[in-house]
Amino acid sequence: MAAIVRLSSVCRRGINRNLVRLTVFACAMQITQCANSLLILALTAGSASKAASLHWTAERVLSILLLAMAPVAYYNPGPVMDYSLAAALTLHGHWGIGQVLTDYVHGDTKIKIAKAGLFLLSTVTFSGLCYFNYNDVGICKAIAMLWSK
Amino acid sequence: MANRLICGTPGLISVTRTLGRQGVCLSRPQYAVLCRHVVPMGTTAKEEMNTFWAKNSRSNRPLSPHLTAYKWTMPMMMSVAHRGTGIGLSGAVSAVAVAALVLPGNYPYYLDLIHSLSFGPFLIGLAKLGIAFPLSYHAFNGIRHLIWDIGKGFRMAEVYRSGYAVIGLSIITSIALVLR
Repeated sequence: MAAIVRLSSVCRRGINRNLVRLTVFACAMQITQCANSLLILALTAGSASKAASLHWTAERVLSILLLAMAPVAYYNPGPVMDYSLAAALTLHGHWGIGQVLTDYVHGDTKIKIAKAGLFLLSTVTFSGLCYFNYNDVGICKAIAMLWSK
Repeated sequence: MANRLICGTPGLISVTRTLGRQGVCLSRPQYAVLCRHVVPMGTTAKEEMNTFWAKNSRSNRPLSPHLTAYKWTMPMMMSVAHRGTGIGLSGAVSAVAVAALVLPGNYPYYLDLIHSLSFGPFLIGLAKLGIAFPLSYHAFNGIRHLIWDIGKGFRMAEVYRSGYAVIGLSIITSIALVLR
């Protein structure tokens, strides 16, 4: 993957654009699979309620992290903040909408379909934001440009 | 007597002795240290919920007039607004991400495109407010939720007071963001 990234940094436009998109997508999938395997570990180690409790705590930790990121991104814009913001924003949104689905969608198949759709949306969102960070100005710069209008 | 050997602290001794008498868990010494008096449940929470929804959607009973029968209170509306702004903001982020993947040009190109349409300052301010207010409201109400999560501020007076504080702070912050 590193070779592909290096190649595409040399020839930014045209043929390698789709390749970069694919690798960003694959990267996003890897990270979410990692998170899922951590959850499975929690499930096997304890019980379903233990996993749910850990999830609750993780949601609050992420919310606090995201709140802290705002002033840091304002005073220290750059690629590190861009990618951290992309990850935190997507995950916070994913978990938030997950709670909304849990509240309003009932029945095993409907829940499964809804959760699958959400997973797809979040993966696409994260890939899109990473793509924007890599191939375009990046989140921090984009907000700065938009606001100076 | 084996129980006393396993759990040294005096407080635990009485507990383990009573548990030992009931013959739960502690009869096996390897489980003695971390054992709780656990009764296995007949059904899981998920099973219970599914049964409830299956039975009630099958019976086609009318839904309780929960939205029309009760007075719309401030905390209720703020909770709905928190969810609404959350969904809206998440949708906006996803839309930007999809646009970045799908649209041909780059960001400065589209920003210049909007510039060239030369909207007046009032409309630009309104658009900025449309982004700033939901964001500030969701952030401040989020802090209010986090304070609830540590167990503080549940008294009715506190709920209303923190609610008004959130609304006030959101308005001030969003206007400050638009005017800078």
